[in-house]
Amino acid sequence: MGSGGAFPAQKRSSGVLPMVNGGARGRAAPLLPRGRQIHKTFHNVKITILCGFVTILVLRGTIGIGSLVTSEADAENQHLIEETNRIIAEIRSDRDPSDPDEGPERFLGLNDTFSLGPRISNWDEDRKVWLEKNPRFPSYVNGKPRILLVTGSQPTPCDNAIGDHYLLKALKNKIDYCRIHGIEIMYNMAHLDKEMTGYWAKLPLLRRLMLSHPEVEWIWWMDSDALFTDMVFEIPVSKYKDYNMVIHGYPDLLFEQKSWISLNTGSFLFRNCQWSLDLMDAWAPMGPKGPLREEAGKILTANLKGRPAFEADDQSALIYLFLSQKEQWMSKVYVENSFYLHGFWEGLVDQYEEMIEKYHPGLGDARWPFVTHFVGCKPCGSYGDYPVERCLKSMERAFNFADNQVLNLYGFRHRGLASPNIKRIRNETVAPLVNVDQFDIRHAARHTTEPQS
Amino acid sequence: MIGRLLGPRRARQLQRFVRNGKLTILCLLLTVIMFRGYLGAGRFGTPEKDLDDIRVTLSYIRKRPEPRRVLEEAQGELKSAENAGAGSNNYADFDIRKILRDEDDGVEEFKRDPSQPYSLGSEISNWDEQRAKWLQSNPKFPNFIRENKPRVLLVTGSSPKPCENPVGDHYLLKSIKNKIDYCRLHGIEIFYNMALLDVEMSGFWAKLPLIRKLLLSHPEVEFLWWMDSDAMFTDMAFELPWERYKDVNFVLHGWDEMIYDQKNWIGLNTGSFLLRNCQWSLDILDMWAPMGPKGKVREEAGKVLTRELKERPVFEADDQSAMVYILATQKEKWASKVYLENAYYLHGYWGILVDKYEDMIESYHPGYGDHRWPLVTHFVGCKPCGKFGDYPVERCLKQMDRAFNFGDNQILRMYGFTHDSLGSRSVRRIRNETSTPLAVRDELGLLHPAFKAVKV
Repeated sequence: MGSGGAFPAQKRSSGVLPMVNGGARGRAAPLLPRGRQIHKTFHNVKITILCGFVTILVLRGTIGIGSLVTSEADAENQHLIEETNRIIAEIRSDRDPSDPDEGPERFLGLNDTFSLGPRISNWDEDRKVWLEKNPRFPSYVNGKPRILLVTGSQPTPCDNAIGDHYLLKALKNKIDYCRIHGIEIMYNMAHLDKEMTGYWAKLPLLRRLMLSHPEVEWIWWMDSDALFTDMVFEIPVSKYKDYNMVIHGYPDLLFEQKSWISLNTGSFLFRNCQWSLDLMDAWAPMGPKGPLREEAGKILTANLKGRPAFEADDQSALIYLFLSQKEQWMSKVYVENSFYLHGFWEGLVDQYEEMIEKYHPGLGDARWPFVTHFVGCKPCGSYGDYPVERCLKSMERAFNFADNQVLNLYGFRHRGLASPNIKRIRNETVAPLVNVDQFDIRHAARHTTEPQS
Repeated sequence: MIGRLLGPRRARQLQRFVRNGKLTILCLLLTVIMFRGYLGAGRFGTPEKDLDDIRVTLSYIRKRPEPRRVLEEAQGELKSAENAGAGSNNYADFDIRKILRDEDDGVEEFKRDPSQPYSLGSEISNWDEQRAKWLQSNPKFPNFIRENKPRVLLVTGSSPKPCENPVGDHYLLKSIKNKIDYCRLHGIEIFYNMALLDVEMSGFWAKLPLIRKLLLSHPEVEFLWWMDSDAMFTDMAFELPWERYKDVNFVLHGWDEMIYDQKNWIGLNTGSFLLRNCQWSLDILDMWAPMGPKGKVREEAGKVLTRELKERPVFEADDQSAMVYILATQKEKWASKVYLENAYYLHGYWGILVDKYEDMIESYHPGYGDHRWPLVTHFVGCKPCGKFGDYPVERCLKQMDRAFNFGDNQILRMYGFTHDSLGSRSVRRIRNETSTPLAVRDELGLLHPAFKAVKV
């Protein structure tokens, strides 16, 4: 760079901005020796090339002219993103692309009557005859009545992925309990009736299952947001031999206060018999979507204590039915509260560690709840009634609390109630059957139940 | 002016120095701008954002950047801006990692001695005697439910953490519902595993410690049926031919020639197989496990397998290739008790089956289990729970829906319903309700099938 131009004016102009090719031009040029001139030109060209190079690099970095080279990968990425978005949106939407266009929905009017099906009036005899003709499908197996646990969820993915994950975990929890206790599971993902939607969908489903499976003695409906937390406790069915329905609730809340949460239809059992069919026929009329359900909702809000204003739900409708037709139904309904056939989660989930310390599984009540029911959390939707973090953390804890009881047989345990990871708590042995006899819940009935350590 | 102070030569030197200095600074400035553009700190971000971008870019360079970014960007539109804090009732923007954490609850942990070579557990040599004795003293838990009907435990599972793919958990849910339906009809129990029993045996190897643990903990189980989470039952009426297996201990889908003659790595499939609860099975599990432990062992084993087996690509050892290798190289020891089944689709590769469902419905009926009406459609390579699989997302998910509906139709028909079409979630009635429901017979006889009847 050291061109020794003798004229200060030249130097000044060329020193400030080397990019300006002012050096060799100008009045002084013909006075410079040739060598000098060439040297200067060469020098300027060098600078020009250097600066041009740097400019290109800068442009490549900031504006992405280099995308000419990588454009293929970018375009592919863009395409992948769009495709994934489209597929996920399509899967999530309720509308099926293959569904025929149905036209505007027609709701049942207020004067129409709804029925779950043709009236059946001698189900008890029909069922008895069938059982006699089919001795290989008895309603009692090994001395215990055949129970069918029914649960389900919507056919489309949840609004958020975390909802499906907890549906999966809740189902695993139910599978574990039912395997240990010899109960069959039916998981429904189909809308059988276009009018009985939402929480009412269980009625046509349960009726259909009752009629198709005469060998089933008790049908147990359980919500998808309810988890078993006592894997040892078994429902004392012998207590209910004179009853046809078992539901968790409080009689004083029901009859004296007429509270809309005096019973809970998130977990209840009913016997496969004519009485149950009649009950469902009486229960259903408030269900059909549209003006019928809206009007019914107003009646329920007016008559039940504490009920907010919204369309009719199955729980309020059942309570109203029991209150208004008490003599017809209540003699066969057992309102159970000696154990948590339904256990409202808020008061329970923080006590798990204390329970582990003080009590043991098999109690089923407030000391070790049978079922923890996450009412109001609604993880499959977009919004719940409670803060998300509290709901999900509590569901995870309840799941792990129950899972520990299952893993106990295999010698494992979760690393704390909030952890999906497990640790080994019993070494492998060459005589594993000793542990099986001691820890398998099904065999433990023969020995005294030892307190959970 | 400076020239007057220092003298002409000095002045010139100084000016030269200044000029060089200016040039250097200019070039430095341009370099910084260039780097800013390259490392992704451009686009007018704040300095803090720049740092974040740099960190993120560097970490991306370490992993495979593109697929992960694609899925996260795809999710980005579904997520809202910032987490509103602990009080938020909105499930959309919640990160589950906030609540999952390990804690010490005081119960002692037993760890495997890492200095010892890997083993699935203490070696047991008299399992058959132990088990026979136990079965005798527990007559209420027989290993055969009826004549020719062994007690079977179907084992499947998935990760305890949410899937990376936003719809993955939904397909896992559908898949387990499908298995629940088949098993309820056929009197089979299910164990859905969500626990990683052994950190060393991760991924596809996780099934080995689980299978061994279940065999030893459930002596009443005669056959353990492992099934991958991406396999679905598509023939609800087909009952496995148990009498055919009365003298063998290990049933897999595959072909003898492909294993023993060709040593082809896909000559059998470990996505759906039966294993008898006996000493032989414990022995083969012990023989199978050594290639599994994560890290160097698995990598080295992978190289051996790629070298020895036909057409195997280069990757770490997987359980399927390891089993091919064991059977091919130790035929005399194991082959007599291994049955490679191909008369029906104990495992059916989805690629060749899913487009034919409509033809099958037209020409055949459930109960065949083979190419006419496959028992199992296995979505190998789709990986719906992971980030990306080996096949296009749309094809995989759409076909999984179709396979699910194909199987579900056979269940719904029992109750008088069917899906509107194989691609549709909605159902319609095909049989009206009647006042004499017991007089109606379901065509397939699945409501009260012979294989579910109890011993009288």
